[in-house]
Amino acid sequence: MADSKKVKLPEAGQWPDRMLVPALALGALLTTTGFLLAFFWVAPVNGAKLSEPVMVGDVTVTHVQLLSQKIFYFHMPVAIVSFVALAFAAYYGLRFLTTRQQRFDTCGRVAMEITLLFVVFTMATGDLWTRFEWGVWWTWDPRLTTYLILMLIVIAYFVLRNAVDDPQRRATYASVLSILAFVDVPICFMITRVIPSSVHPVVAREGGMSPEMAITVTVVMVGMMLVAFGLYRLRFRQARLAERVEALKEQIEER
Amino acid sequence: MARVPITKPSTFAQYATLLKKDLRREFRTREMLTSMGIYALLVIIVYGAALALTVRDLDIVRMSGGLLWALIVFTSLLGLGRSFAHEKEQGCLEGVLLVPLDRSVVFLAKATSSFLFMLAVEVVAVPLFFFFFMTTAAPAPTLGLIVVPLFVGTLGMAGIGTMLSTITMNTRARDVMLAVLFIPIVFPLLYACVTATTAAIVGADPWTDFFVMPLVLAGGYDIVMLLVCWVLYDFVVSA
Amino acid sequence: MNTILADIYSTVIPSAPFIIAAYALVWAALLVYVIITVSSLKKTEAQVALLEEAIARKAE
Repeated sequence: MADSKKVKLPEAGQWPDRMLVPALALGALLTTTGFLLAFFWVAPVNGAKLSEPVMVGDVTVTHVQLLSQKIFYFHMPVAIVSFVALAFAAYYGLRFLTTRQQRFDTCGRVAMEITLLFVVFTMATGDLWTRFEWGVWWTWDPRLTTYLILMLIVIAYFVLRNAVDDPQRRATYASVLSILAFVDVPICFMITRVIPSSVHPVVAREGGMSPEMAITVTVVMVGMMLVAFGLYRLRFRQARLAERVEALKEQIEER
Repeated sequence: MARVPITKPSTFAQYATLLKKDLRREFRTREMLTSMGIYALLVIIVYGAALALTVRDLDIVRMSGGLLWALIVFTSLLGLGRSFAHEKEQGCLEGVLLVPLDRSVVFLAKATSSFLFMLAVEVVAVPLFFFFFMTTAAPAPTLGLIVVPLFVGTLGMAGIGTMLSTITMNTRARDVMLAVLFIPIVFPLLYACVTATTAAIVGADPWTDFFVMPLVLAGGYDIVMLLVCWVLYDFVVSA
Repeated sequence: MNTILADIYSTVIPSAPFIIAAYALVWAALLVYVIITVSSLKKTEAQVALLEEAIARKAE
């Protein structure tokens, strides 16, 4: 059996795993720093205009200071990280389809789990923010709707994996679905954003971030990426170990 | 011994043959068209019950786009589920795969036949909907333009639906699985088409924002998704 | 506290529960995921130990 081109398979316990603990620690540190920065360093965002300006300390304050906007410093980073995780899942799906190695299917499944986790974070923070801002538990605004659809597709991914018994077939279907999801989500976001909705105004706070806000968001984003990476390696290691145990069991039963 | 000339049929000939097979089968039994048509009627009756108390106060003209597309989605789910069921039962798909052809041709033929069936059902269902709910309402003069979003939306749904029903054909709880996969993935298309349809029925202002832009986006969705399904279909049907 | 100051910070008290809930939910979900992964890891390690025993027994 001549392998003219050997495919390098991702394996647990390689160099990324040695970075696991430092990555998680750094990630935790960064997110905590970001959290503290968000609440103590960044200036609060202005809300409605006051009837007359007033002196607080030595600063003239002219607007109501919004505290609820602080949720944004966690909401946007986790949203972006979830999309990055989806990109990885689609990448591993593509690699499985081209090489037919089960290992990539495992990678894709773990990446989808991380996606689901971070999508849940996005929905939780986004929903609570909306509840406070607009007083309703749900609005069909672009971000929340797109993330609801993404969450449904990822849940459908896992339901599909459960419903198919043959491993090769299951891996094929799962890979195709992850690629479809990756293509579908940006389209969904674009469509819900461009088409005007007459019911609820688009929650547009993206415009005009002050430098301190940008720094805080970046700190939390890097922290969250490291956390996601660390979680992915941890879960992948556990999944690989479980696979090797199954393979050993089969080998023992054969003898 | 004389040599028998063998010519490989062109891709278009393969596509046409597969398409004709589906159409001929349907015209002989009319099984799927009648069941989809009756299902559309039943959904309209459910709408009747759902809207019974409010039909006088309701601005039915604004809601009709959304209701119409919900009707189309549910009927499509039924049709798409059925379109592969008989292939699997009779082992037809395996037979087709024995022929050395490009698998994407199978996808195109199946998608086209699903598209045609869905269009046929819509030709019946849309006037039926108007008959039951909109005789007293006064839609805008742009009503005829609802044909365009119906066409674009059905095209996208047929393409994605064919790919997804090939995937779910081999799973347990086939129909539920199809619905679970189909509705989230088709959501952007649905959203755009409902907006365009409502704009055509209501005569929205500004026109480009509510009719042209959603149609452009829906067309973009169709092109991207059909391309992705075309490329990936080979992997799926050979699994 | 004069009324203007109260107006400035009027969003703080009502929004505090939501903000705390948002961050707490994120933290809790993360914790749940890590706990699930680590407990699966422990179970798999126990299975590895069992397998090693079985192989040792078969070798005899």
